[in-house]
Amino acid sequence: MRLNKKHDFPGKLIVVEGVDGSGKSTQLDLLRNWLISRGQSVIFTEWNSSRLISKTIKQAKRSNSLIPNTFSLLHATDFADRLENIIIPALKAGLVVLADRYCFTAFARDVARGVDREWVRNLYGFSVRPDGAFYFQVPIEVSLARIANSRMPGYYESGMDMGLSSDPMQSFQIFQSRIINEYNQMVDEYGFYTMPATQAIHEQQVLFREHATKILNLT
Amino acid sequence: MHNHDYPGKLVVIEGTDGVGRSTQVEMLQNWLQVEGFGVSTTAWKSSQLISKVIEKAKEKNALNTITFSLLYATDLADRLHSTIIPALKAGHIVLADRYVYTAFARDVVRGADSTWVRKIYDFAIKPDRVFYLKMPLDPLLRRIITTRGGLDFYESGRDIGISTDLYQSFKLYQSQIMFEFERMAEANRFITLNAEDPVEAIQKVLRRELGTLLMDETLSGSIVRS
Repeated sequence: MRLNKKHDFPGKLIVVEGVDGSGKSTQLDLLRNWLISRGQSVIFTEWNSSRLISKTIKQAKRSNSLIPNTFSLLHATDFADRLENIIIPALKAGLVVLADRYCFTAFARDVARGVDREWVRNLYGFSVRPDGAFYFQVPIEVSLARIANSRMPGYYESGMDMGLSSDPMQSFQIFQSRIINEYNQMVDEYGFYTMPATQAIHEQQVLFREHATKILNLT
Repeated sequence: MHNHDYPGKLVVIEGTDGVGRSTQVEMLQNWLQVEGFGVSTTAWKSSQLISKVIEKAKEKNALNTITFSLLYATDLADRLHSTIIPALKAGHIVLADRYVYTAFARDVVRGADSTWVRKIYDFAIKPDRVFYLKMPLDPLLRRIITTRGGLDFYESGRDIGISTDLYQSFKLYQSQIMFEFERMAEANRFITLNAEDPVEAIQKVLRRELGTLLMDETLSGSIVRS
């Protein structure tokens, strides 16, 4: 499986992972602008954004009728389409690819949803192994508070499809805890850089840039 | 894939394009209904969720091997959940026009890893019977060209660049698919039928085999004649 080997494309792939509200998108955005200002050519791609299927996924989610395997396969399809059309060509061209969520999101979410751990890892076996995977680690309360400040968590986001609780906030809490648990187990499995996502934005960014500098061999 | 213990039966008809699968399924459906059985049919690439996405992507010739595989797997996952399993639970005989074996054959010929594909379809239910309609290449080609007025881009494997000559490409692609089917037919005890036989003759064999399947089981109804 490609995921288990170092890639030999000239470009570099950096991914950020973590639960909703962990601040990973903010950090990636800052890193992206900084890299561009340093003259790097950067390609950005995010979860569930392929032209092929992202709209279908959004529609299907609205109808709240997906079973975990279908849910998983839909996201894998989205990912495969972006990998082939965006990520791999960019890596071949020697560019820096920044991905907001990668296959590890599926490994965390889908397993939390009851999908077999082994099955989903096989499913995404075609993924290119990232040069750096940054995991934004937050306690569940922090994630919960950040999300609740801005909006009500969605049906799937709170794992309502699993009937954990009829209260959306409580369901969200249980489901997000499971996801965090899966992420924590992946730290060693995939060699994540764990980011202290409860620290101030600036401090995190300094750390992020430091690591990125090494990965990209910038001077 | 796992065995099911639903009261219904899952019967699969496999075979390459143009061998007459849908005709046979339709005849079987009518016959089973006349005999008083609940019947559901399900065709490859027909889910509400995803079949349109597949159509659109194919029109643009925009699919790579992995995405192609995953789209079809998603389609089946959706149909299993929304059609096949509910029907089996209700005691129906589900006639599936193509099933996972089509994916196993096609995806592997398109370059996907055979273990990878098989593992993905682990979520599927093992059929109670699989019929494989087999036809040699030359008559198959004649049949497809005359009935459909030409060869299809994907059915000819043009997207994987075997040959720029559509006719040659079709032959090579379909012969590799057949090779995969035959390997599976042996390993999984498919009932192989000669698709060159007259439609009625094939139907007769299908009915006889289904009769046995249904008589053996708790479903057994009035089928004694064939």
